[in-house]
Amino acid sequence: MKTRRLFAHLAAWLFLAVLALCALAPGLLAPGDPLAIDPAAAFTPPNLTHLAGTDESGRDVLTRIVHGARPSLVIGLAATGLGMGLALILGTAAALAPRWLDGMLLRLLDALYAIPSLLMALLIIALTGPGVGPAIIAVGLSTAPGYARIVRTQIRTLKDSAMIEAATVLGRTGAQRTVHHLLPNALRPLLALVTLGIGQAVIWASALSFLGLGTAPPAPEWGAMLAAGRTYLHLAWWMSLFPGLAIVLVAAGATAIGRALGGKVRAL
Amino acid sequence: MSRLLTVENLSVDFAGAEAVRGVKLQLDSGECLGLVGESGSGKSVTARSLLGLSGGTVRADALRIAGTDALALNERGWRALRGATVSMVLQDALLALDPLRPIGKEIADALRVHGRHPRAERRRLTLNLLEALGMDDPARRITARSGELSGGQRQRALIAQALIAEPQLVIADEATTALDTRLAALVLEQLRAVKQSGRGVLMISHDLAQVAQVADRIAVMRQGRIVETGPTAELLHNPTHEYTRMLLRAIPAGVPRHTPLSQLGERITLTPRNDKLPAAASDPTPALRVENLSKSFDGIPAVRQVSFELPRGQSLGLVGESGSGKTTTARMVLGLTTPDGGQVRVNGKLFTPLPERERRTARPQLGAVYQNPMASFDPRFTVGMLLADALSKGRNLRVAGQRTAITELLDTVRLPAKLAERYPFELSGGQRQRVAIARALAPAPKVLVLDEPVSALDVSVQAQVLDLLDEIQRTTGTSYLFISHDLAVIEHVSDRVAVMRGGQLVEQGTATQIFTQPQHEYTRSLLQALPRLG
Amino acid sequence: MKFLALVARRLGATLVVLWLVASAIFLAIRAVPGDPAEAIMGGPGSQASEQALAEARAAYGLDRPVLVQYAMFLGRLAVGDFGTSYSLKRPVAEVMGEVLPPTLLLASCALLTAWLLATIGGLLAVRATALGSALGSLAEIVAAALPHFWLGSVLIMLFSTALGWLPAVDTGTPAGMLLPVLTLALPLAGFLTQLLRDSLATALGSDFVLAARARGESKTSVFFRHALRHSMLPVLSLSGWAFASLLSGAVVVEAVFARPGLGRALLSAVLARDIPMVTGIALFSAAVYMLFMTLADAIASMLGGRVHAA
Repeated sequence: MKTRRLFAHLAAWLFLAVLALCALAPGLLAPGDPLAIDPAAAFTPPNLTHLAGTDESGRDVLTRIVHGARPSLVIGLAATGLGMGLALILGTAAALAPRWLDGMLLRLLDALYAIPSLLMALLIIALTGPGVGPAIIAVGLSTAPGYARIVRTQIRTLKDSAMIEAATVLGRTGAQRTVHHLLPNALRPLLALVTLGIGQAVIWASALSFLGLGTAPPAPEWGAMLAAGRTYLHLAWWMSLFPGLAIVLVAAGATAIGRALGGKVRAL
Repeated sequence: MSRLLTVENLSVDFAGAEAVRGVKLQLDSGECLGLVGESGSGKSVTARSLLGLSGGTVRADALRIAGTDALALNERGWRALRGATVSMVLQDALLALDPLRPIGKEIADALRVHGRHPRAERRRLTLNLLEALGMDDPARRITARSGELSGGQRQRALIAQALIAEPQLVIADEATTALDTRLAALVLEQLRAVKQSGRGVLMISHDLAQVAQVADRIAVMRQGRIVETGPTAELLHNPTHEYTRMLLRAIPAGVPRHTPLSQLGERITLTPRNDKLPAAASDPTPALRVENLSKSFDGIPAVRQVSFELPRGQSLGLVGESGSGKTTTARMVLGLTTPDGGQVRVNGKLFTPLPERERRTARPQLGAVYQNPMASFDPRFTVGMLLADALSKGRNLRVAGQRTAITELLDTVRLPAKLAERYPFELSGGQRQRVAIARALAPAPKVLVLDEPVSALDVSVQAQVLDLLDEIQRTTGTSYLFISHDLAVIEHVSDRVAVMRGGQLVEQGTATQIFTQPQHEYTRSLLQALPRLG
Repeated sequence: MKFLALVARRLGATLVVLWLVASAIFLAIRAVPGDPAEAIMGGPGSQASEQALAEARAAYGLDRPVLVQYAMFLGRLAVGDFGTSYSLKRPVAEVMGEVLPPTLLLASCALLTAWLLATIGGLLAVRATALGSALGSLAEIVAAALPHFWLGSVLIMLFSTALGWLPAVDTGTPAGMLLPVLTLALPLAGFLTQLLRDSLATALGSDFVLAARARGESKTSVFFRHALRHSMLPVLSLSGWAFASLLSGAVVVEAVFARPGLGRALLSAVLARDIPMVTGIALFSAAVYMLFMTLADAIASMLGGRVHAA
């Protein structure tokens, strides 16, 4: 049992290290230029020089996947950061607010939660127009209501907990209770939640790119690469298979790490 | 009489760890065998292995149940045996009956799985049995789910599902634990009836006093082994094993105040230190004075016009069944729940109703210990940090500068100083409760509110904690508001007793008055249900 | 009686939520720079004349004071009028009426498939060995991490291009439905199985299951008679969210399989910045979500579970 957990931990850290390396120094893993075209080598199936084949302009798919880690992860991280930041403000406000304000905020969160995330993202993009910035804002805003509801419940539960009551009985002020006990204990489980959320955010962000509403095509971004690959699905399967595998790996990895951190499966 | 159960040299392993070793049991029809032990003694595992449900690897020289060699049984064979030959009554009817299914189905299931009788006949038998068990209007109750029934109805349903298929052996696994005194008495009564109907009863419990009410013979278990077996009267009066003696010693019922429960040898009643007493003599202001406290939740009154006084250096026992309003009263005393009316005075000064800001200065005079100490600790804190926090009024969490004071506090509750580095989750239940007491003592309070402080502890640990609380009171003169559903504990710890029911105080007086000359009918019914030894 | 009160309360809550969603959308449209009239005339690139823009404003009521516009907006919504699509120049309700049936069919089939797969997954997990359970857990996590747009492509490559068993685009036949439904259902099934397995483990470890086994009930019978019912409650309470997420997924799946439907309509509306169309679809999804929440609560209360506060 213990060795299995140790192994899982090691695997998770190794995975994170490779991912970080891809995002921070893609040149180390894939020295080629992700944008260098070579029309003569277009649609080369996977072989020893091009492990994941080449695309319609002869660009190496693997190089592009490695270089695509950064934009995909940046969008995912930024969107989760934005969503969680907003959620912390809204959720904490609702949890600590008087009943009537909490009720109103909760209704509002319910309303926002009632719109499916991708739909909300599309709604925002309909207003702002497509692009990387709008994609981050769209994914961030659309995940915020779900997070905010969890943050609110978390803080509410803690606020009424025996631990906080014990602090009251010991004569602690409201500020001391909040700073010493409430916030630290409320934030810790959110770490697992954020990890689970990043995986989903990466999927949504690349979905937007896939639909042509996020990163524009020549840039190496996983969703955009898949969009390009779809045109040649019958001709060059590798253009679709490998970028998608990268997304699945990141999303599944994030879920696995999040669950290991103690996250419960939840709908966002 | 015929032999129902023969167990020879039973052992149960879980992934290499032995939970039960060399257990030998015998049970005849019409007999009740009590299996007594504290948590982790292996008594439940033993019981479950008699149903083939232990989940571990079972080995035995012999395991015969009502003539069947259970060692030779496969899963199908076990299934035929379960419910029909051996059945089980588990602890809490709220958990042991499926909360999503009507109790009628749960009960009749025991017949259905064995393919007995058509549906209509099963229903008729269920109704008859419930009627016989004293359920009022069973035809209406069987469509209800366990959560919709009262405690007594639910408990009857739980017993019914174990009896309906007329098994020869009934195993009661902690069937009376955590029940209110009168409900426990009801279950004991029914187990006695089962025994008298000629079946065998194996009664498993940590509570020696309760087991002794029904059992003909008692086996005491500890760390997976049976340390002593004997007829009930003999075991109670002439225990041969030291552990049995210790268990008997730990029972608080009828033991006078200030008399240690956790020490062997002759009982000695200790006297409080005199230098702490004059304060009480010269200053008649009670440590705690509660006047006409009332509270309703959603229009339903939880506490009505409760008044009592706690004299300095004394203990007031507040006793009542679950839902009687004793915890709401405690919360109002502690200023955690705002009362609808009435007031609380600590050392003569108004405490409630006051805004939190104004009464904060009086907080150090009032401490609290709860049933579940874990929930009241910040999980990020070590024992040392918890105490440092309490000593420094939340200003300094570092253990380093306050090491002496922390060591002293830990010593007061008889814990070694090295425990300061540990986290509460690494400690045993008794150690955790000691840490909770140490934390409550840090501001040197005049009054401690103890809400069911020993209810979750094993009997021997309960005895140690009760002794510790008594010692602290004798040496520091702290006043206790001691809340419990357990009359035996209340009798042992209280100078004065207040009995609560349905949100009201039905009776209060000195402990001697209440326990020897109860005035109120309710108090009498409680006392009648209290199991006593010998 | 309690049941009717529950439904009434839920419907009230639904109306409040819809009103809030509508208001939020209205507010968002005002808050974002850009002239809606431009979008009506075919976007910023259309170089519409000032006069044409003014006419468009008048035609869509955009020249009135904001509060009047808000009142008109809500008033029209109240009678089911979502306005006129900027890009299609047809009433939004009419367009939605056409694209809705195929999407609802797709999402319903996918939801049923996901539930079925999750239940099978749960049953397998209960009987699995340690290794099997670890593998199952891995499969769930991977399934839940599959993006629709990629899964769709992979299924096409596998079953259409390589094996030639199923059509790559929707042909309107049941065979044509199979791949889109699977694409939508698999990730959801992975997610639901994780959820179901967690709650199954809790249910199977509870005392009432032990009591049932002690009565002689078999493992399988305990699973169906006791444990499944308990684990269905959290899954049920999520089905509103699940159906809504399927509508999200439909946007992508309909694009991948070239299927007509709500998602395709939404995507082209977004690309054309067709605000009335997008608003209509968003409000509709919110209504569906609330409807499912009400249904789930009703079923949960019939199963005897605790009912969520509205």
